[in-house]
Amino acid sequence: MASARFPIPQGTLDMLILQTLSLGPAHGYAIAQRIQQVSREAVQVNQGSLYPALHRLEQKRWLKAAWRPSETGREAKFYAITRAGERQLAAEKETWDRLAAAVQLIFDEGS
Amino acid sequence: MAQLLNLLPWRRRRLERELDRELRYHMERRVEDLRQAGATDTDARRQAALEFGGLAQVREDVRETWVWRRLDNAGRDVRYAFRMLRRSPGFAITALLSLTLGTGVNAAIFSLVDQVLLRPLPVSDPDRLVHLVWRGNSLASHWGSGYLMSYPLCRDLQEQREFFDGIFCRHVTTVNVSTGQQREPVRAEIVSGSYFPVLGVRPALGRLLDASDDLQPGAHPVIVLSYRYWMNRLGGSPEVIGRKVLVNNYPMTVVGVAPAGFPGVDPLAPPMLWVPAAMTEQAANIDAYWDRLLDRRAAWLNVLGRLKPGLSTEQAKAGLQPWFTSMLVADARREGFPRVTAEQRTSFLASTVDILPAPGGLSNLRGALERPLWILTGGTLLLLLLASLNVAGLMLARGAARSRELTTRMAIGATRTRIASQVLVESLLVTVAGGALGLVAAPAAARVLLAYLSWDRDIRVHIDGGVFAFAFLTSVAIGALCAIAPALQTGRLPLIAALKERSPLAGDGLRLRKALMIGQLAFTLILLVGAGLFVQTLAHLYDEAAFPSSRLLMLSVNPPGSGYSPPNADRAMREMYQRLQEVPVVERVAAANARILSGGAASTTLTIQSDKRFVTDGAVARMRVGPGFFATLGTPVIAGREFDEADVRPPGAASTGERTAIVNESFARRYFKDRSPVGYRIGLGNRPDAVTNIEIVGVVKDIGFRDLRDAEREKVYFHYWDRDSSGGTFYVKLRGSGDSAFAAIRAAVAQVDPALPVTLTMFDEQIERSLWTERMVAALSTGFAVIALLLSAIGLYGVMSFVVTQRTQEIGVRLALGATRRAAVWLVVRDALVMVGAAAAIALPSAWVLKRLVEAELFGVRAFDGPTLVLAMAVLAVVTLGGVMVPAWRAASLNPTDALRLE
Repeated sequence: MASARFPIPQGTLDMLILQTLSLGPAHGYAIAQRIQQVSREAVQVNQGSLYPALHRLEQKRWLKAAWRPSETGREAKFYAITRAGERQLAAEKETWDRLAAAVQLIFDEGS
Repeated sequence: MAQLLNLLPWRRRRLERELDRELRYHMERRVEDLRQAGATDTDARRQAALEFGGLAQVREDVRETWVWRRLDNAGRDVRYAFRMLRRSPGFAITALLSLTLGTGVNAAIFSLVDQVLLRPLPVSDPDRLVHLVWRGNSLASHWGSGYLMSYPLCRDLQEQREFFDGIFCRHVTTVNVSTGQQREPVRAEIVSGSYFPVLGVRPALGRLLDASDDLQPGAHPVIVLSYRYWMNRLGGSPEVIGRKVLVNNYPMTVVGVAPAGFPGVDPLAPPMLWVPAAMTEQAANIDAYWDRLLDRRAAWLNVLGRLKPGLSTEQAKAGLQPWFTSMLVADARREGFPRVTAEQRTSFLASTVDILPAPGGLSNLRGALERPLWILTGGTLLLLLLASLNVAGLMLARGAARSRELTTRMAIGATRTRIASQVLVESLLVTVAGGALGLVAAPAAARVLLAYLSWDRDIRVHIDGGVFAFAFLTSVAIGALCAIAPALQTGRLPLIAALKERSPLAGDGLRLRKALMIGQLAFTLILLVGAGLFVQTLAHLYDEAAFPSSRLLMLSVNPPGSGYSPPNADRAMREMYQRLQEVPVVERVAAANARILSGGAASTTLTIQSDKRFVTDGAVARMRVGPGFFATLGTPVIAGREFDEADVRPPGAASTGERTAIVNESFARRYFKDRSPVGYRIGLGNRPDAVTNIEIVGVVKDIGFRDLRDAEREKVYFHYWDRDSSGGTFYVKLRGSGDSAFAAIRAAVAQVDPALPVTLTMFDEQIERSLWTERMVAALSTGFAVIALLLSAIGLYGVMSFVVTQRTQEIGVRLALGATRRAAVWLVVRDALVMVGAAAAIALPSAWVLKRLVEAELFGVRAFDGPTLVLAMAVLAVVTLGGVMVPAWRAASLNPTDALRLE
């Protein structure tokens, strides 16, 4: 592997956000942290693109947001996944699995 | 949807606030975490900012998720445009005013056009209705208005079923109706039995007339009432069916009521009741000449029909012509056909039938208004175009003034499309606002128009959906028109060059502005020429009215309408005549059967006995006048004499018909060439057995009769008192002037019968009324021309100011090198005059094209009138010079040193 951290592929950020939030509500900073931790620091979330993605998902009604006190006691904007978001996540996971399986098949063929 | 809501300003503000808090929270948490990991405060902040990327960019990206970009931009453009317009109120107000005027006047005229000209009759399938017209010499006497045919011909036509689903005839008249106590004159339509079936109308009550009501002359005493008359006069009672009413004192039975809103075939003058044509003699107010329902030489009916589906008027016309020609041939062989010259016979046999579409029915008022309204529509469209050119010019000027600003914005990253769309939005904002204001102003404008149409007709101001759509579409079209040029202009800004001190953009933009200006000047010139022609027409027509009109009044009475029998009516008229002569303020009084200049005239064919016997080519307009009529009107007698008291039939003596006649100059010229007709004899009608026992006793100067334009038509006057008078009009010339005499005159008439209704009209008023369309056209076209001049002057001022600013340096150099101030002024003035010249080169050929449209409306002046053209150009040149005065003066008073230092 050329670099320890690779930028996430286009379009996957939405899926990662939805996946992260399916475990429970979180604010933007926490989402970024969690994605990095869970992927063992392998994925670098460009924080600049995180917020536009969050707002886009909110506008699509896949997420809903509420202001709540955070673990530090200050108010933060917490995002939570909606029903529609869960359906979307399931659909994206399936697509991803199929794509991964297909790619794997092609790799197996070549080896 | 949510994205649309996000455009709302308060919602937008909340989103921005929350985004701020959200991002701040993120940054602070990151800084805290980094500090806990051991970084110094400064390093932590730098690191956090680096990780995050450009904060402004993130914000912008987030904002984009809130609303669609295009939408957002549009919203922003609108807000921006508002701010820009508020900052230059002069521009905004001029542009708004131009457009408000343009669309307002246009919507008003269009509402009239729509109502008077375009609206179809409220009957089934009005598109198949047609009007049948006799083209050529019918050798018939005429009674009524429009294209007329005889009753027998109408019956023949009803048999023609090959091309028509039916044909019907109608004649409009006024009858006196008595439903009990009260008695009143009402408008009635005399109709053939096929009228209601062909129009496809169903009764509101009872039954309507049909073919069985129009068989035997005099055998069908039935009428149908209009819904309005039934409601207003008879209280809408269902018991009205079977009731007898007196129509011109003849008892008729009401058999039905027409449906609500059915106006007959003239939507602008709906009748109150319908009478079968077979009852014309009994029920209609027919004067003494007219007792020939079955006479083929008596034309008094308008003929309409319903085409078979899918047939064009051309096909029907071609199909009907062979029958029509054979009808003519048969007619010419009939006994009683006039003895005509070979020439007259040929012209009779060459007559054709014409078929005109009549989806809107037939209307006298429409006939009178059609051309004037189209002319005014043309005028308003020109004005509207001019206004939009003016606004386009103003926008271009703004574009030029803002080129520095716009190019700066482009340089820091705005795309050309964004800038062009901003300019477009600004233009659209102005034009749509102008259109909306115009629509608000339209009812007021239409009311002003209607003030000119002070006529007892059914026209009201309607700003309905159609008018609304029209005004809206025109304003949007104008918006596009105004906006495109400036938007394109900004799209083409040469970036680097424009950013430099002095932009070469001027060349291109200025050329476009000058082109727009030339267009405006050309439109102005056309409007000026039009105004000149119509004002002259009006002036000529006033000249034509050479009556002592301020001292002349008309008093009309109708004794038969109040129940007088013919002998009693005659007695009452004679008595009133006597009494009026005894009133001290009255200088002269004369009786006549009609009001002149009221739009109608009867006409009759004549047989003339000079050295040979011959018949007139067509019908001659006729009127019955008493002794002293021409003296009262101030009309000179050219040969012989006018009727005098000695000719008056003694009271009570039985009428022996007409005994004496007077003809006008045009009649004498046409039928007697250079001989004097005095002493020769004529007879009524053109039948071979017509008796020629009426002696021509005089020739009078031509005067207008139906209106002021028809002076030169051949006319014959018979002696009023030769027949039993059934009412009429006294022409009274006063010693002093006006109003104080009214009471005395009314009193004199009241002595004869205080209950007799009297209509008094000053002759001045009658003239005004007869010229109302001409006055309207003249006033409005003048108004249009003045507005056009004003707009052009403003536009020109703008362009030339710009030119002077652009050429400040050049002028400065010239002045410094010794050019005179006069040369500097000339530099500017020449530019303007070249534009006027170019405008004339465009406008004059267009005026030539428009000639045909206006020619029929002109009087005493030709459509391509040299002096008018010269005058219009002079006016335009003067106003143009007015417009360039200030800029020219500024150019001349430039201080060369200042001008050069500017660079």
